Amino acid sequence: MIIAEQKPLKEIREMIAPYKKVLVVGCGTCVTVCLSGGEKEVGVLASTLRLADAVDGNEREFVEQTITRQCEDEFIEQLRGNVEKVDAVLSLGCGVGVQDIAAIFPEIPVLPGLNTTSFGRPSEQGVWVEECAGCGDCILDETGGICPIARCAKNLLNGPCGGSHGGKCEISDDTPCAWALVYERLGRLGKLKTLEEIKPAKNWSTAGHGGPRKMVREDLRK
Amino acid sequence: MLPNGINDDNNPVGAVMVVGGGISGMQASLDLASSGIKVYLVESSPALGGKMVQLDKTFPTNDCATCIVSPKLVDVARNPNIKLMTYSEVLSVSGSAGDFHVKIKQKTRYVDMDKCTGCGECARVCVWRGRVSSEFDAGMGKRGAAYIPFAQSVPLVATIDPNSCLLFTRGKGRCAAPCSKNCGPKAIDFEMQDSEIEIDVGAVIAAPGYELYDATLSEELGYGRYPNVLTSIQFERLLSASGPTRGKVLRPSDQEEPHKIAFLQCVGSRDQKHNYCSSVCCMYSTKEAMLAKEHAPGTDISVFMMDIRAFGKGFDAYYERAKNEHGIKYIRCRPSSLKEIPSSKSLLIRYESEDGRILEEEYDMVVLAVGMEPAKRVGELAERLGIKLSAEGFCKTDEFAPLDTSRPGIFACGPFVEPMDIPDSVMTGSGAAAQALALVSRSRDTLVSEKEYPPEIDTSGEEPRIGVFVCHCGTNIAGVVDVKSVAEYASQLPGVVRAETTIYACAQDNIQTLKLKMKEFGLNRLVIAACSPRTHEPLFSDTIREVGINPFMFEMANIRDQCSWVHSKEPDKATDKSKDLVRMAVARSRLLEPLYKTKLGVNSKAVVIGGGVAGMTAALSLADQGFGVFLVEREPQLGGNLHKLRYSVSGEDYRPFVDSLVERVMSNPLIDVITQATVTALTGFLGNYKMTIVEPGGQRVIEHGAVVVATGGREYRGEEYLYGQDSHVLTQLELEQKIADSPGEIAKVKNVVMIQCVGPAAKSGGYCSRVCCTTSLKNAIRIKEMNPDANVYVIAKDIRTYGFKEQVYTEARSKGVIFLRYEEGHEPKVERVDGRLRITANDHVLHEPVTLDADLLVLTTGIVPSEGNDILAPALKVPLTKEGFFLEAHIKLRPVDFASEGIFVCGLAHYPKFIGESIAQALAAAARAATVLSRPQLEVGGSVAVVEQRKCAGCLTCVRVCPYKIPKINANGVAEIEVAECHGCGTCVAECPAKAIQLMHYRDGQVTAKAEALFAEVI
Repeated sequence: MIIAEQKPLKEIREMIAPYKKVLVVGCGTCVTVCLSGGEKEVGVLASTLRLADAVDGNEREFVEQTITRQCEDEFIEQLRGNVEKVDAVLSLGCGVGVQDIAAIFPEIPVLPGLNTTSFGRPSEQGVWVEECAGCGDCILDETGGICPIARCAKNLLNGPCGGSHGGKCEISDDTPCAWALVYERLGRLGKLKTLEEIKPAKNWSTAGHGGPRKMVREDLRK
Repeated sequence: MLPNGINDDNNPVGAVMVVGGGISGMQASLDLASSGIKVYLVESSPALGGKMVQLDKTFPTNDCATCIVSPKLVDVARNPNIKLMTYSEVLSVSGSAGDFHVKIKQKTRYVDMDKCTGCGECARVCVWRGRVSSEFDAGMGKRGAAYIPFAQSVPLVATIDPNSCLLFTRGKGRCAAPCSKNCGPKAIDFEMQDSEIEIDVGAVIAAPGYELYDATLSEELGYGRYPNVLTSIQFERLLSASGPTRGKVLRPSDQEEPHKIAFLQCVGSRDQKHNYCSSVCCMYSTKEAMLAKEHAPGTDISVFMMDIRAFGKGFDAYYERAKNEHGIKYIRCRPSSLKEIPSSKSLLIRYESEDGRILEEEYDMVVLAVGMEPAKRVGELAERLGIKLSAEGFCKTDEFAPLDTSRPGIFACGPFVEPMDIPDSVMTGSGAAAQALALVSRSRDTLVSEKEYPPEIDTSGEEPRIGVFVCHCGTNIAGVVDVKSVAEYASQLPGVVRAETTIYACAQDNIQTLKLKMKEFGLNRLVIAACSPRTHEPLFSDTIREVGINPFMFEMANIRDQCSWVHSKEPDKATDKSKDLVRMAVARSRLLEPLYKTKLGVNSKAVVIGGGVAGMTAALSLADQGFGVFLVEREPQLGGNLHKLRYSVSGEDYRPFVDSLVERVMSNPLIDVITQATVTALTGFLGNYKMTIVEPGGQRVIEHGAVVVATGGREYRGEEYLYGQDSHVLTQLELEQKIADSPGEIAKVKNVVMIQCVGPAAKSGGYCSRVCCTTSLKNAIRIKEMNPDANVYVIAKDIRTYGFKEQVYTEARSKGVIFLRYEEGHEPKVERVDGRLRITANDHVLHEPVTLDADLLVLTTGIVPSEGNDILAPALKVPLTKEGFFLEAHIKLRPVDFASEGIFVCGLAHYPKFIGESIAQALAAAARAATVLSRPQLEVGGSVAVVEQRKCAGCLTCVRVCPYKIPKINANGVAEIEVAECHGCGTCVAECPAKAIQLMHYRDGQVTAKAEALFAEVI
């Protein structure tokens, strides 16, 4: 899923400062699941902002709505009734959601309530770890199912580097060395031999370095 | 025909008398009552709760004692099948098992229990208030002649103590009796007399508990003469927020905080007059020391002890925490006396340090860890019950029938059997209930009654018609709050049809008035502004149900505990706050919805996993109670560890016992023994489980209503001290087999060395296996008996022969077994020199290393969990401890239950223990399982979590946060919460990121309505 975390309250308050009526929009998909932008977080954030305004004596109204996905035009369309009543939208969706709402309602400012951080998974309740960098050219078959692009600090294709110690990465002791994991996993698979092959430089054009990416399925287009 | 008219000669009376209302007796009563048996709970003091209610916290979790025990008190009080007979004594028991006739004396309280509302006014006006030593505060606090023992007393009624009341001590007319004049409900009557009641019961459970040793008898320790020498229970009362100092530890001599405290262990235990260990003092002193440190972190605390007996689940870790995190010093010395320094009233203790120096140290306060003694009047009680006592004055029981007294049909539990802690008391309470159930289960449900209600009125679609009743609670509320103005205010609130005041809302006559008003004004919701829903909600819910209104249409505003009591100095503000509280309650009441419970059938068969002594005992107890049992055993034969053991501590041969046990199980028509089978999955819920088991013939699914886990444990085997490399190195189990099977070899040995705490206890964060000290000494004594010339050395850290096992330690010493001590990190060394074993250890008397050449080296290796627990636990969805034993729902009060209802644990699967303890726990598991299996149907639903599936994102948050592991993501990818399993705790509701879950009766709207009503005037 897409992982995002809420922006600091101070930053959100600065963003909404010019507006008198704000629609806080939640998204029912990835950010609900990573507990940062679902209906509950919308309610909690809106209440917090109301309280903060009450303390400062600001007159501002908040409207709350959560839709199934902020990255689909049809769902965003459900916001229309509320959007027309407010002078700004605060999206608790990922960056895609913010942009899509802005695209559908170009007349109104759409503000990001979250920082979108990564593609990952919860390793335990309350902890999310990044495991995919969306590079567009998957090599997980060669690395025992562990992605060195997302999980090695240097995105090395021929690791580990000299900073690997005791299975940890030199950047922090709570970060496992991805290449130590690759080594261990390939050992279990009996494929350590494959580590002797030097991997050539990666084609980064699929990773966005060749400009914004687009997927087209001609068979599905109308 | 018996007087109750429903029994004939063949059927036992479907009632049981429990004598003693401490934690053990209460547990027995609750288990019996939940299994369809009428219970008479006879308690000699005015209130239930025994010793536990006096405690501040409990070891080893530091749980608040009152917080965990008071729900039990309330459960007992509310249970319609338990007849409470407090302030009562058993006079005689005639008849025989199944048909006892009991005479009981009910002492008069001079207070009519039916009228008394527990308002406490009499205690407040008693002229003798604050002048009588309070039993509850162990003499540290004072009460009056009219008193309620403590705030959570059950029953919550006053008692007039004739030993201090002036009307009795000085005669009529010597007191104006303000208690009687001020009593609102006119409950006090000085003419009341003791009464005698006769009852018929099928069985009796004796749970009279214990008394603490009278420390004045240990004159050398100065208790009673030196004010700053306290007993442990007095110190406990000082620690308690409900105690006389409101939780401040102060020296009685000058009310100053002590900076240096000493605890003296074994006062009234392990001495010339007490040939047993009281089992609990090491841990309670550790607890009290830790709490004292938490109260005042700088306090310097020393515990003077002989051995630290941290033998239970989690105890060793607790002891380590006390030493390492709290810096509590443990000094291995038993000071023979102490002196007071007259000027400061501090105490001087002279002791010998470990390295042999004589030291003298001054302490501001000394706490005596007083031991357990049989209750003083237990001899009299035993005589009346016709049961025998042991030489120590406790109940005489048998190793293989640990809860049976000498008289058939009378069972025992709690510290009456042997000094024991709270979990063991709860366990034996349930166990004794199982024994009684086996005897009377044929008459289940004959003497209990189910209440009949009129059909419920459909109020859906009606506008809220709320009645508000504001209680005076005598002067408790009305003395501070202007209740009339609160009622007037309430009558103006939207939806309120009728608002009035009432003197005592909970008094019987007022309940009748309440019902009439409900009908007269066509009320469909009730708000009571009075005391706590904790004690009174069930009463009022039930009252509205009696007039056909759904019981969930009730709301309470606590204007007593949360208002008049805390704001007694500010009546105006208290009145305003009462109005706020009532406004909130009314706001929620408007949004209440009727909820209905549904009934589900119960499969009355049980599965017992494991065919060792615990599993077989549980299976037999359940079968004796009339339930079908599937006994699933992994091995081809039943018996478990019993086949490996040879003789018990008292020298009894295990073989006849195990043979008869197996024979009884195999021949019981209600027990289906399935051997060579393993459990792979469990689905369903309480009362309706499906278990998949794999046996040689294939796989099958068993339908049943409850599960007992009794998978046992095994002796640890490792590579320590040349084990496995030298044939002269044995484990204790191997030694026991050798002693029994090849006595000739043992007769020839000259030197035997035993090393204690090898294996699980030696590892960091290790645990004590509870049985090994006693087992080693049992074997050491055997060797000495077979071969008096042999030298037997036991090298140990502490000798943990708790309870009556202390006598084995005494016997070993008297037979010449030599004890050496080692400290952690200074373990003995073992090497092979010229083909012989050489052990080097430190001699703690000489302070020098000694070298021992051994013919036999015996390793005391402890008990580890059974293999496969790590597979079974997830299959049953129950947790394990980090050591791999099964983890019960609550270490103190639910020692055989899992958090998942309908699954129970016993024997070594729970923790290492003796066979007698395994039997007791197995019986307990059977009693607990019976509370499920005996119900014809289960009522489910009501205030449970409900998923709005349309909103669910399938995020798994509820699945992960539920403490009972109930929510599941179903085939449609959305959460599902089984109504029958949900405990209604609301954790998932709070965490759900999509707001897809609501807790019925506490919907968001219903809760926020209260908050909005509260702030309505300020926002």
